[in-house]
Order: sequence, then structure tokens, then C-alpha cells
Amino acid sequence: MKKDAVLRVENLKKYFPVRKSLFEFMSSKKEEYVRAVDDVSFSVQEGEVLGFVGESGCGKTTMGRTILRLIEPTSGRVYYEGIEVTSLDRKRVKSLRRKMQMIFQDPHGSLNPRRTVADILSQTVKIHGLANGKTEEDELIKNTLEEVELKPTEEFWDRYPILLSGGQRQRVGIGRVLILQPKLVVADEPISMLDVSVRIGILELLLRLRDKFGISFIYITHDLSTARYVCDRIAIMYLGKIIEIAPTEDIINKPLHPYTQALVSAVPVPDPTVKMHELPIKGYVPLIPAEVFSSCRFYPRCLHTRKKCREEEPPLIEVGHDHYVACIKAK
Amino acid sequence: MALLEVENLKIYYFTREGAVKAVDDVSFSVDRDETLGLIGESGCGKTTAVFAIMRFVAPPGRIVGGKIIFDGNDIITMSNEEIRLLRGKGIAMVFQAAQNALNPVMTVGKQITEVILEHERITKEESWERAKRQLELVGIGSERVKNYPHEFSGGMKQRVMIAIATACNPRLLILDEPVTGLDVIVQRQLLTLINKLRKELRLPIIFITHDLSVIAETCGKVAVMYAGKIVEQASTVSLYENPVHPYSQALIRAYPSIKGEKRGLKSIPGAPPRLINPPIGCRFHPRCPYAVNICREEEPIFRKKNGHLVACHSIK
Ligand SMILES: Nc1ncnc2c1ncn2[C@@H]1O[C@H](COP(=O)(O)OP(=O)(O)OP(=O)(O)O)[C@@H](O)[C@H]1O
Ligand SMILES: Nc1ncnc2c1ncn2[C@@H]1O[C@H](COP(=O)(O)OP(=O)(O)OP(=O)(O)O)[C@@H](O)[C@H]1O
Ligand SMILES: [Mg+2]
Ligand SMILES: [Mg+2]
Repeated sequence: MKKDAVLRVENLKKYFPVRKSLFEFMSSKKEEYVRAVDDVSFSVQEGEVLGFVGESGCGKTTMGRTILRLIEPTSGRVYYEGIEVTSLDRKRVKSLRRKMQMIFQDPHGSLNPRRTVADILSQTVKIHGLANGKTEEDELIKNTLEEVELKPTEEFWDRYPILLSGGQRQRVGIGRVLILQPKLVVADEPISMLDVSVRIGILELLLRLRDKFGISFIYITHDLSTARYVCDRIAIMYLGKIIEIAPTEDIINKPLHPYTQALVSAVPVPDPTVKMHELPIKGYVPLIPAEVFSSCRFYPRCLHTRKKCREEEPPLIEVGHDHYVACIKAK
Repeated sequence: MALLEVENLKIYYFTREGAVKAVDDVSFSVDRDETLGLIGESGCGKTTAVFAIMRFVAPPGRIVGGKIIFDGNDIITMSNEEIRLLRGKGIAMVFQAAQNALNPVMTVGKQITEVILEHERITKEESWERAKRQLELVGIGSERVKNYPHEFSGGMKQRVMIAIATACNPRLLILDEPVTGLDVIVQRQLLTLINKLRKELRLPIIFITHDLSVIAETCGKVAVMYAGKIVEQASTVSLYENPVHPYSQALIRAYPSIKGEKRGLKSIPGAPPRLINPPIGCRFHPRCPYAVNICREEEPIFRKKNGHLVACHSIK
């Protein structure tokens, strides 16, 4: 692992007990778990945008929340600038949280509808004691609104969220995070609920904040095309595990894991002259992923299996420059 | 005459704040061998437009003008009995977010047979046979006919909805955002199914989406909607290669692709307008880099350019 990592995650796991009906509860012997995050390790460098891409339910959100300790991990360690976050007491976590923030998918649901834009930001300033007095607070809010391009700021100051477009609301959400001067931001599907025409504007904003303030991002999405646009590296998740992680263009142009290959070729292309090909994958994601894997977890859906794939779970190993894959065929 | 002809359709929602001009003077047609993509951002009126085709528009919404001619008959003036016959056997629709519309306490087989029995005089046994065939058709084994919706994933529920919609051999199928919110692999499998059905059943389709890339994979021609109006119509290939309307151009330039060189993208300034007080003149003018005085004053009419129908003042 490189030394100047802002974030280092080691063997992180988060299991949820499977909810059962009373009958199932009485009849089965052992407790079952959804392995939402199942032994994940990676690091994020300063100013890096690391994408996490995978299908619904593969554990992206759970991972993001566990890193920030919004939920407690089952096991594993998370280090922020060398400090072990996972062993800190609640109070220390709170003060660290200023530096590690999250942007949510639904800008509508996460903003209080009864507060104006300025009130929403002011609340954050007060909670974290960011300003001495009203003048300083107003100054800070004004600067933040300018940074997220809600200009002229007077026009947005007293507006309620309902009178903002989706893109503007997401900008307020980003402003609320930015005002804390975070070092690491987990952005969970920040544009998936927005209009196509305003999405790129939000992504450009995130990239600008990265360049200007050196903020690192964990960018969570199921959309590889937009991930390609913002990410330096991409990690592909399948059933709670990273099965491939590499620089963005390598994931897009030279995917090595059969699942990544299927994912990449499934992405629709905005070009009617490109024809659809048969997908190199079979079957479906299990409805409740509660299985314990002694084989490769992609085995049931893989078209290139060997005997060994059934016998053990392949580890994530480096097969090229900064390119890691968990598949025995990718050597 | 085309199978479906929509002419100067206007649908307004009469709310307390005023009339929402959700569909405002919209015309398009779909022929027997065509797939029309209706593309546009959230709230531009796509669902409202196709609701009118099924005559599902309900208060506060009202069709305030235009014609909808299906196979020679005007849907707007049909009797309720004619409409009942039309839905299902004439035109069928898979609603937006339809996966959630399945009845949770009824097996999927039962839900398919109910639709068939409503429209056709056949026995119960025959309807169950048909239900099984429908499930096979959409790539779900007929052995799952007695399963309940919760036993299916989102993509499979969407397949069930398509099985229901095509159960009575409609002559036009409307799909409202059929793959939105689904994972890409599931999405691709569904698009493949839709293309297969179109060929095998020779079924004309209206395909609604906000996703340019999904249109590219399914539709022969496309209509771009913006703020209650169609701004450009063309064959899909031509639209992507040579978009004429500034909005179509901007939309395509704002769209990332996973294929080819990574190219620069351009965001469109501003946001779509609210339809209570849409901008005067061309509705896109506040966001258009080429807007001149006439765009702020007069509504553009449709003109032909490169085989496209375009509503923009820049075309003379
Ligand atoms: N609080 C919880 N209790 C029980 N199971 C949970 C809980 N939160 C998440 N899960 C399960 O953990 C798995 C991972 O969920 P998670 O929301 O992290 O996935 P995701 O990759 O973010 O999916 P999406 O793309 O749909 O947002 C899923 O199977 C989910 O049902
Ligand atoms: N029942 C209603 N009352 C008032 N306004 C409505 C009603 N239904 C829809 N509208 C408005 O009509 C416009 C068109 O809505 P419609 O649902 O047709 O858009 P859409 O293009 O299908 O959007 P989406 O992509 O979000 O599904 C929107 O501005 C919407 O707010
Ligand atoms: Mg999630
Ligand atoms: Mg709609």
C-alpha cells in the first residue's frame, strides 16, 4: 500500500442477519447472514476519485456507510490519514466526521423542506462551530454558495428546497458538505435522480472541488459510463466483494474478470450503429445473497469455469500495473 | 395512413396554480413496422402523451385539443366500450415503474389469465395454457406460473408485465421507461427480449425513455421532447449523427459513452422549465447558446432539414 493514502480499508466486513418468518426461525438451526460487505480492502489517495461500480444490492452503500461509521462494521479496519477510525469512541468519530462526509442520491429527501438554503448551511456551521459570529457565518455561506455555483447568491439565500431544481438541490447538498472542508467525500449515486441535462454539471463540480481543494472521492454508482467520466480508478463489486480494481481506462478497455467483461458489454451505448452482442454471463443475482462461498462467488454465472473455481475463492491479486483481479484465469 | 397518428395533441393539467401545459401541440405517427422512441427529460410530458393514446388522462388533466387516430378511428371520441376493447387488444401499455404494480397476493399466472379472460371468450384451462406460453415467450419458465411476484427480481417482474401486455396480441405496444432503474445486465437482457418480441410478433412499439443510449439500441426513429413539445423527429441513426435542434445537440453532447475514446462532455446550463409558465417563444431559448430575439418572441414551427423535422428558428 502507498504511504500517502487518505483512506485505507482493510478486510472490512458488514453482515446483516437475514430476516425470517417465525416458521423459518423455528425450523432452521443456524442464523443466516447477508454478507453485504465481505472482506473488502483498498486505499484512496489524496485528490483521487475512486469509483465503486456494481449491481443493485452488491453492497456499495453499506460499504460507504460503514467506512464513515454511520453503521458499525462486523469486522475489519478503516484508517483515515493513519488514524484507525474503527476503534475510535463515538465522540472522536463525530469530530472526525467533519473530514469524512457523504453526499446522497436523493437531494430532495436529505434537505429539510422547512428551511431556506441559507438556514440549511447555517445549521451545519453552528453544529460544527465553524464561524465566530453572524458576519463570519454569512461570509462562509456566501463563499460556499459561490463554490457550488448557486450564483448570484442573494437569489438562492432565502429559497426553500421545493423551489429549486433537482440539480440545484444537489448543489445545496454538496455545499453543506463542502462548508466543512472535508478531505474525503463518499458520493452515493449523486446524479442518478437528476435530469440528464444537468448531470454533467454536477460531475464537473465534483471534479473542480477535487482539483481546487484536493478532496478525495469515493464515487458510488451502477453506471459505468459516468464513472468513466469522473473516476481515476474503478473497483467492481460483486456480492459484497471487490472482484477487480484498476485504473479507469483499463477497466473499460481491458476488463479481465468475466463479470467486469459482462458488465462493460452490457452498458448501452448512445450510438445506434453499435450492435448489441450476446452477454457473456448466465443466470441472475441471487435475491437474498446469504450464501457462504467456498467457490468463486461468480462461479454460478461464469461461462469460463474450471474445476479450481469451484474449490476455492480466488484472492484479489495484481496482474498488471495497479490492476488487481480476483479470478484464476487472469494471470 | 399510419397505424397511429397523433395530431396537434394538447393535454393540460388544470391545477390551482394554473394550467400545466404538459403536452402542447404534439404530433407524431407510428407505422406498422416501426419503433418510435420518445425521449426527453423528467416532466417533459412523455407519460402524459401516451396516457392520452390509451385515454387514461384523468382530472385535473384534460385533452384540450388534437386528434389521436388509431387504425382510422379517433380515440378521443370513442365510446367507453370501444375504449375497453382497445386497451389490451388494440394497444397495450407497460406502465412506468410497473414492476411495483403487480398484485402481491395473486400468482403471476392468475394475473395473466385475468387479462386474457377479460378480452377473449376462452375457457379457464385455455387461458392458463396461454399464460404459460406468455411466460415462456418472455424468458421465464412456464413452471413459474404459480409463483408470486415477491419470488421474482425486478427484471423478472418487468418481464411478467410484458407478458401481460402482449397476452392478447395487441397491435401496438407502449413501453414507458421499461428498463429505468434496472441494473445494466438485467437491462440488456430486457432490451434483447423487447427486440426479439418486436421481430417475432411484428409488433410496433412506442418506447419512452430519458436515456439516449437505450433508444439507440431499440428504436428506428425518435422524437425528442422538451417542455411539453416535440422539438425534433428523425431516424435514430441520423439524429445521433447529425442532430439539428440545439437541444438535441446539447443532449447528445452531455451524454457519456463507454465506447471509443473518452470524449469531453458539455453540460447544459440551467434546468428544464416548469410547465405552468413555460418560456414565451421557443421553450428552450433560456438555455440555448444560439438564441436570438425571434426565439424569445415567436414559437418556431416545424421545418425540414436533412430529413429531420425540426422546430427551430435557425432553420430557414
Ligand atoms: N439494514 C439492513 N438490514 C438488512 N440487510 C441490509 C441492510 N442494508 C442493506 N442490506 C442488504 O445488504 C445488501 C447490500 O445492500 P446495499 O444497499 O449496500 O447495496 P447497493 O450496492 O448500495 O445497492 P443499490 O445499487 O441498490 O443502492 C443487500 O442485499 C441489502 O438487502
Ligand atoms: N396529475 C397531475 N397534476 C398536475 N400536473 C401534472 C399531473 N401529472 C403530471 N403533471 C405535470 O405534467 C408534466 C408532464 O408530466 P409527465 O409525467 O407526463 O412527464 P414525463 O415526461 O413522463 O416525466 P418522467 O420522465 O418524470 O416520467 C410535468 O410537469 C408534471 O409535473
Ligand atoms: Mg446503494
Ligand atoms: Mg413518465
